[in-house]
Formats: sequence, structure tokens, C-alpha cells
Amino acid sequence: MTYRRQVFELAKRDFVQRAKSKAFLMSMVLIIGVVLMIGPLLAFADRDPGPTYVGLVGDLPTGSVEAIRLQADFLDYPIELRTYPDLAAVEQAIVEGEISAAINGLDEVIFRDEVSLRLEAVLTGGVANAQRQTLAADLGLTLDEVDVLLFPVAFDQRTLEPAETDEDNARQAAAIAGLMLLYISILIFGQFVMMGVMEEKQTRVVEVVLSRVKPTQILIGKVIGIGLLGLIQIVALGGAALLTLSVVDIADIDLTNLGIEVLGLLVLWYLLGYAFYSVMYGALGATISRQEDMQGVAMLPVLLILPGFFIAQLAIASPEGWLARVTSLVPVWSPMVMAVRSVVSDVATWEVAASILLLLLTTYGLVALGGRIYRGAILQTATKTKLRAAWRSASG
Amino acid sequence: MLEFGELTKRYGEVVALDRLSFQVHPGRILGFLGPNGAGKTTAMRCVFGLVAPDSGRVTWNGAGIDRETQLRFGYMPEERGLYPKMRVGEQIAYFARLSGMDGGEATSATDHWLARFDLSARGDSKLEELSHGNQQRVQLACALVHRPEVAVLDEPFAGLDPIGMETMAQVLRALAVAGMTIVFSSHQLDLVADVCQDVVIIDNGHVVLSGEVNELRRLSPVRFLEVEVNGRPWTKHVEGVTSSDDNGRHRYVLSRTAPIEQILEQARRDGELTRFAFEPPNLTDLFREAVGR
Repeated sequence: MTYRRQVFELAKRDFVQRAKSKAFLMSMVLIIGVVLMIGPLLAFADRDPGPTYVGLVGDLPTGSVEAIRLQADFLDYPIELRTYPDLAAVEQAIVEGEISAAINGLDEVIFRDEVSLRLEAVLTGGVANAQRQTLAADLGLTLDEVDVLLFPVAFDQRTLEPAETDEDNARQAAAIAGLMLLYISILIFGQFVMMGVMEEKQTRVVEVVLSRVKPTQILIGKVIGIGLLGLIQIVALGGAALLTLSVVDIADIDLTNLGIEVLGLLVLWYLLGYAFYSVMYGALGATISRQEDMQGVAMLPVLLILPGFFIAQLAIASPEGWLARVTSLVPVWSPMVMAVRSVVSDVATWEVAASILLLLLTTYGLVALGGRIYRGAILQTATKTKLRAAWRSASG
Repeated sequence: MLEFGELTKRYGEVVALDRLSFQVHPGRILGFLGPNGAGKTTAMRCVFGLVAPDSGRVTWNGAGIDRETQLRFGYMPEERGLYPKMRVGEQIAYFARLSGMDGGEATSATDHWLARFDLSARGDSKLEELSHGNQQRVQLACALVHRPEVAVLDEPFAGLDPIGMETMAQVLRALAVAGMTIVFSSHQLDLVADVCQDVVIIDNGHVVLSGEVNELRRLSPVRFLEVEVNGRPWTKHVEGVTSSDDNGRHRYVLSRTAPIEQILEQARRDGELTRFAFEPPNLTDLFREAVGR
């Protein structure tokens, strides 16, 4: 019987038993259902609202209709014009919602209850242009001469940095969504490990298991089994997100490619971050044997991970700032900070490699440390074991 | 042979094991007795490395017990524990696989033990849905499912009803006949006398009495005599002989070689002799004497 086969059996039990639980299955179905609705909701929010209907009444200068249309095109405000015989008819049309606004000769622009400055600019600008042309013709001026009078200086425009593209925005949104999922997954599945360890101690089954395997095997098996469950959840959620985003068509961005890239990064950093935190959770779980003690003990990993979560949010806006660059190398925070940096910016390969290496080395050390605490605490009968006592109690 | 060699274990000021030494012979059942806190559980945990002794060691056939050897042992801890929400059959098969059986072997061994304990219909039930006694049977099945060479059972009879105890006793006897070496602790001394060939009694972490049950009884210098005349206990004072009253029983305490004919004659003079029992001490007597309480 090899060490690995026993770890496989231990991991399989944790995976299967938890995957079969109604709570897990229901939460999976619920979350995936919510994610699948995101696409249609975005598509609905992004749909073409159609033109705005506007009424015309009273005496308008010649060419007003054409001038209003030109002004609407210039301001990218699609409108549809309707002519009404008198003021009463146009007011009724506004009140009944048939049209959004109306222009009454050169006197007034009428709205139902709230003035839309943009629509007003379209209507008054258009009519003013028509009136200007009539007045210019009366004065014997050409249109070019009018332009020189109205716009005597032509300014050029220049920007120092490129504007944010749609892709940048999509990457930032993906980084935020990914960060949330990463943070929640590490904490939830880490706490599952803690709960599993605590339950085995509480039910005393751990003594039966320990008569067959080593303490570190139990810890590693549990971390693998529950971690795999988390991985499946992330991939299922990511798959659902990709599927749902495929119905959205925003500008020229390839959301599917971006989604796959983000999902890949998410899986990588989930595995690395989860491995680190779940070992910590597992060792802490061995020090307690009652559900009510869990909350207090579970605070330690949360306090460690929380600064990383906030720094990662800052790193989305400033991925190459010194704070982001330094903290993406610190093992307790790197899973989140480096993950978001990799999504929103082109991080140097050496930085990513160094970050992964440091995290792996720290996790390896933590397995030895956590394994010893687990060993020292798991057979203690006191409801709560101090970390120092667990350390001393474990031999070697 | 399973040998506990000079095991010593201290917890601060408390000495749990004090150079504890005894052997369990292959294919025999040994009752491991002692008052609460004598060190039985600590000694049993030492077999599986669950407790590391400060000195001394446990050996199997002369060699130390490594991980491979441990997988050929079965253990039922005093603190009962299995997975409450796991199905009974899955649970037994899981421990079989964890002990090295492949999937097919584990399944057939599980079926065998479910049938042996009359639990075949409950294989798909969650453990927590079973009665206390049935959970106890599942616990024993988990300890024995991988056909261990040695079974170390801490209080396997605790909490069982008389029928459950008899079933469990039959199982242990059959396993010993088939060659399994069994050591179990218990406070039910009648049962131990009934099931075990050998006993070890420990107190304060060291052995105070050990040997074959019948031999220990036979070799004891003490004999108990109970006499009834006309169907009622005969309680007359006999010169030079002490007596004790215990639970309505009047017993004369004699040496193994005491001349009992005189007492027989004396009793006959008082009426019709309806009972005359001259017996070696039972296990309870030996236990009390050994631990001095």
C-alpha cells in the first residue's frame, strides 16, 4: 500500500462525500444559474433603445427639419420627427408618451416633466442653424463667411496617454470579477478543510483513520479532495460565464478569448492560493473540536488574506505601481495581487515566476509546520488546544 | 507474537505507563484489564504510534511496528468514532481500501461483515440512522474488515446488550480459531473470563497479574466455600476460617489445601446439605486481589 494510494483514498472520500451533499449541489446550481443570467441581462441593458420621437408645431424657419436631423446626427442622438397641427395636439402627444418633447416655433421647447438638455441642444441647435442660414442669406453672406465669423480659430486636439479602450475596461471588469471569485473560493474551500478536520476530531473517527495512515497524509488528502471540488466549481462557474458572455457583443472585443485567459489565471492562482491557505486552515482545525470555536480560529487566515484583497483592488487601477509590484511577491497576498496584475497588465515573466516560486516554497514550509501542529493537536481531548501546546506535543 | 516491552509514558507528573511489559500469543485472545486510568488505552495507542512512549517499544514477531505492519493490524479505539453521515457499506469499504484492499476485495469483505453482523439491509443507511448497538457493530467491522493478523480492541463490549455481547464474543472466538491474535480491554470480567484464554491485569501503568485465566484461578492460594443447609445459606462460624458476606452470599475464605472435610461434617450435623461449593477465585476475585481494591 503506497503512501500515494492512501492519500488518493483520503482525498476521494472528502471529495465524494462533500460533492454528494445537497448543500453543495444546490449552491452550485444556484450560483451557475445566476452567472448564466448575466449575459442575457447585459445584452438587454445594451440593446438599441430606438429613436426618440419629437414633435414639431408652429412656424419654424425654412430647412428646420433637415437642420434638426443634421444636428441629431452630429450629436449621435437618433430622433424621429412628427409634425402636429396645433399646440393642444402636441401637448396631448407629450402627456400620452407618444413623443418625448416638441419644439414650438421659435418660442419654446416643451417636455413632459423633466428637461433633457441634450435633446434641447439637438432641437434648438438645429432650428438655430436653419434660422442662421436664412439670416445669412438675407445679409448676402455665404455659409463659409458665416463659419469664419462664428468659428474664427480652429483648435487641434492632442492627448498625452492613450484613452482607455473597451478592452481595458473589459479586462478591469474581468479582474474584479475574478478577484472576487478567487477570494471567496480560497476562503470557502479553506474553511471546508478546517471544518472537515474539526469534524473528524469531534466525531473521534480520526483515531481510526490514524491507525492506518500518517497525520500529514490526512491533511494532504483533505486539502486535495476539497481543493478539487473548489476547482470544479471555479471551472463550472467560468464555463457558465464564458457561455453567457458569448451572447454579448460589445464593440470589437473578443470576450471569449479574454474569458479563457482570465479563467486560466484564476485556476492557476486559486490552486496556489488555496494550497497555502487550506493547509493553514487544516492545522488550525485540528486545534478545535467544537463548531462554536471555529469562528474565532478561522479569523487568523481571514486577517492575513484581507489586506491582499484590498491591495489587489488598488492594483487593478495601478498594476505597475510599487505597492502592487512588491505585494505580488509576498506569499500571503501574491495569489490575489499577481492574479489581477496579470489580467490588466503585461507582467514581466520573471516577476510571475518569482512570485510562484516564493509561494510554493512557503507552502512547502507551511505543510511541515501545519503538519506538526495537526499531529500534535488532533488527538488532544481538550476542546481547544493552544498552538504552542500542539507544537510541543508533536514529536519531531 | 505481539510484545509490549518496557513501555514507559509520562504526562507531566502523571505516569501513565511504568515499564509495562507483556506478550500476546498468536491465535489467542487476551483480556487486558485494569481499573480506570490504569494505562490500558495509552498502551493500546502505543501499538499504532498514536502515542509515542518515552521509552520501550511494541514489537510484532520481534520487529518494530512500521506503517506496513500497522496495516495488518485492526484497531477499535475506546472513543468510538466513524463518519455519521456516510453510508454504512461505503464506510466499511473505505476503511478496507485505506488498509490496502483493492476495490473488489473491499466490497466482498464489506458484504461479508454486513452479513456477519446481520446488517445487510442497512448497508445503504447513514451511520447516524443506526442504533447505538448497530453502530458499535459497524465500528468493529471497520476494525476487522481487512482481515488483520492482530486486533487491538479497546472496550469492544461497552454499550452492547446481552445479545450483542454474545454475537461479538462468538465473532472474536471464531477469529481467534482462524488464527487472529486478539487483545481487548473490558470491565466486564465475567465476559472476559468467558471469551479470553489469557489475561493481563495492570494498575498504575504496570502489570500486576498475568497468565492463562484457568491457570491463574487454579494456582491461586485462595479457595472460596459456599454451603447451604436445608436450602438456606449456612453461616456458622468455623474455627480458624474467615468468611465474607457479599451481595447476600456467605463465603468462607480458605487456603487451597485447607481440610474441608471438617466443615462438611459440621454442616451435615445441622441438617440436610443442599449445596457445597468449593471453588477457586473467579476473575473478579483475582482482579480485586491484584489491584488491592
